Amino acid sequence: MKNYLSEHYGDDSFQTLAGYEAKGGFAGLRKALAQTPEQVVEIVKASGLRGRGGAGFATGLKWSFMPKTNERMKVIVVNGDESEPGSFKDRMIMERGPFEVLEGIIIGAWAMGAQRAYIYVRGEYTRAIRTLEAAVKELYGKKRLGKSTFGVKGFDLDIVVHSGAGAYICGEETGLLESLEGKKGQPRKKPPFPAQHGAFGLPTTVNNIETFAHVPFILDRGVEWFKSRGTEKSPGTTLFGVSGHVERPGLFELPLGTPLREVLGHAGGVRGGRRLKGVMPGGLSMPVLPPSELEVPMAEEFLSQRGTHLGTGGVMVMDESVCMVRVATVVSYFFRDESCGQCTQCREGTAWVHKLCQKIERGRASDADLALLSDVPKLMEGQTICAFADAAAWPIQGLLRHFRDDFEAHLREQKCPFPESFEL
Amino acid sequence: MPKIAIDSVEYEVPEGRTILQVLDDLGLLGNGVEVPHYCWHPKLSVDGSCRLCQVEIEGVPKLQIACNTPVANGMKVHTKSDRVIAARRGVMELLLINHPLDCPICDQAGECKLQDHAFDWGVPAARTTEPRRPAKKAVDLGPTIVFDQERCILCRRCVRFCREIPKTGELGVVNRGDESLLELFPGSELDNPYSMNVADICPVGALTTRDFRFKIRVWFTDDVESVCNQCSRGCNILASRSNNKVYRFLPRRNDAVNDTWICDHGRMSYKKNSTGRLTAPRADGREASYTDAVKRAGELVRAALDAKGKIVGVASPFASNADLAAFRDLLAALGAGPARFSVPRGESDAILIEAEKAPNAAGCRALGMVESNEQLGRADLALVLGHTLTAEVFGDVRNIVLIDTHESALSARATVALPARTFLEKSGAFTNSRGLVQSFSAVVEPTIEAWSESDALAQIAAAAGIA
Repeated sequence: MKNYLSEHYGDDSFQTLAGYEAKGGFAGLRKALAQTPEQVVEIVKASGLRGRGGAGFATGLKWSFMPKTNERMKVIVVNGDESEPGSFKDRMIMERGPFEVLEGIIIGAWAMGAQRAYIYVRGEYTRAIRTLEAAVKELYGKKRLGKSTFGVKGFDLDIVVHSGAGAYICGEETGLLESLEGKKGQPRKKPPFPAQHGAFGLPTTVNNIETFAHVPFILDRGVEWFKSRGTEKSPGTTLFGVSGHVERPGLFELPLGTPLREVLGHAGGVRGGRRLKGVMPGGLSMPVLPPSELEVPMAEEFLSQRGTHLGTGGVMVMDESVCMVRVATVVSYFFRDESCGQCTQCREGTAWVHKLCQKIERGRASDADLALLSDVPKLMEGQTICAFADAAAWPIQGLLRHFRDDFEAHLREQKCPFPESFEL
Repeated sequence: MPKIAIDSVEYEVPEGRTILQVLDDLGLLGNGVEVPHYCWHPKLSVDGSCRLCQVEIEGVPKLQIACNTPVANGMKVHTKSDRVIAARRGVMELLLINHPLDCPICDQAGECKLQDHAFDWGVPAARTTEPRRPAKKAVDLGPTIVFDQERCILCRRCVRFCREIPKTGELGVVNRGDESLLELFPGSELDNPYSMNVADICPVGALTTRDFRFKIRVWFTDDVESVCNQCSRGCNILASRSNNKVYRFLPRRNDAVNDTWICDHGRMSYKKNSTGRLTAPRADGREASYTDAVKRAGELVRAALDAKGKIVGVASPFASNADLAAFRDLLAALGAGPARFSVPRGESDAILIEAEKAPNAAGCRALGMVESNEQLGRADLALVLGHTLTAEVFGDVRNIVLIDTHESALSARATVALPARTFLEKSGAFTNSRGLVQSFSAVVEPTIEAWSESDALAQIAAAAGIA
């Protein structure tokens, strides 16, 4: 079956308004505008579209949380922060298909009665920011944004592209809102939830870039068409970003539920004919899968049964040369460095885990240290304001679950037994 | 009103409150229900970051923080289940990774929540052998507060206090992860009129007041309930004493008066109890025994009465209601008019500080006394409690009998000056600006011979032969 999201990503004209329209752009929006906002929400609900930011929440349901009254301005925040190592699909969408995103946002604004949308883009994504800004400017130039958006009287939508300043936690829904408001990026406690008290205290819906990019296709081609791809619970395609020890790292648009082996096949398989050691299926925060799980369909409902998650679809492949303790050390360093420091368990736990990993990797650890590495993530999991502590705990737990031998070898040999593994 | 069960005991609680607020409202916190917490403070916004107040709610898979979970009808909360205890232990273990166990040298020992909770919920032995995070010692945050960075557990109470109460926002947490640090806003210092409250609300020994730091171990002190006398707000305080000496004032919670705060000026006013005191009675320019000075005062009163001379009374808004009432009664017995009084005035703010810089102006008014700063004019005798008028006002008065706590230009000019007890040396009550009558207890015994104003007045009346 043909791709839809990335079908025209090789065509530079697709990033211009004229080029986008020449490829049938805004057909979904026109169909949306011909329906009531409630009908649009129902269509998105019926499509079963799940958020593509990592948590996989039902998009239509989230849209329905937005208050129905118009007492206060309603806001859409588009999460283009994408700072999860191994994830780079939103960058591609923003750079190659900016109008897909904008069309999805405008449909969302119509459906939810929003008057403003902020696209929060990771600051390092300078090209994505420029591309989106140019696209927004073009829409304003043609008077398709602002007062009477797309000529619809009473539908006034402004879109602002906002550049983030480089913190992983600003990709977390409420950390992003804090950052957008000019504060230190750290998650907000809930309640209140963003639908009641979001950006600048206004009712807000936060969706990921890719989530919005799917919406125009759903409106244009219909719910049944959308559901004909993917799995029953996870319809549609996604952009799998395959990185690491494969022959052809890159982005591949494939239906959700595509077996992991097939995803790796699109990337040319493990590099140099080496054996596969493990795969992180959804970015750095997702527990690793061993080679025995290669047949798992890449959709949340199947991955969660195997103790991991789809996350952002960033598939990180590691071959036999990799030291999994070294991986744990790198992973824990990242999370130690990026924890916002707000919650006790996360602030102290991430640092402790990293110190333990370092100690084991350097061959200076005892059995007690390994026991601690099993215990400390349990102190962190499920107890903090946001899911960052979970994200820091899960990969360590996954590595210990499937590759305990690597850890024990370090204790036994009092050094790293994988000299060929990547440098720290 | 929703009904909730806490540890299987049912309570009817107001709507829209959180579990921790409800426990606080019901007076259960620490009184039968243990929900330890660091970042939550009843008078500050919810932070939800220490994660110590986690409780188990039936039907909710994850533990929830009591500080940010609103109560709902039928909610069943468990505060001492195995899961809750395990979570508390976990938080304590993590907090103690970097917090030094320096209770023997930490000035907060004895009133440190980390010490208390580590005792109650901590793990018996540390499992971490890693070096602790390096940190700065004894950093001056401003003229009043010293910061020992290594003890900070980043509860952000001080940060929220500065943002929400004085609204000065001097403090913030910079950096991320375990490198997070409490810092001053660049170029600023913690120097607002309420700065010392951050030491009260710091649950560990990170923020201490320069004034009290290392003065005395708190277990050698005991706290007596009192009322600040520096303005007409009448903030409720605790006076910490040891060996008949007051070491500090602390705010005492009263939601109707001062929430849980006091201003720095009021806090430091404890020092006035021991400085500038009128230490010895004087009569006719010479030091005298209390008995002789009272006798001389009695003579002056008798002489004025016999001569049908004019007697005026000057009251003090620093005097207690009982002393003011005794004064009113004596003046009536002497056939003098109502006492007059004056109130020193200054700046006020929207938090606690009132413009009237005395605790009992309302008491003076309630007792029929007349506010005036005018010259007293010709009089044979002025009976004076306190010194809130300038000495010049007494220019045409022949004799002055002064009962007062502190030396002043007037005490030097008085015919008889009798030392009085300060409010820390006697019991009584003040009426604050909102008409609230608040009692206070004696904290220390006077180190000199001094009597309360009403006792001194009674002695003078007796010496003058007035029944």
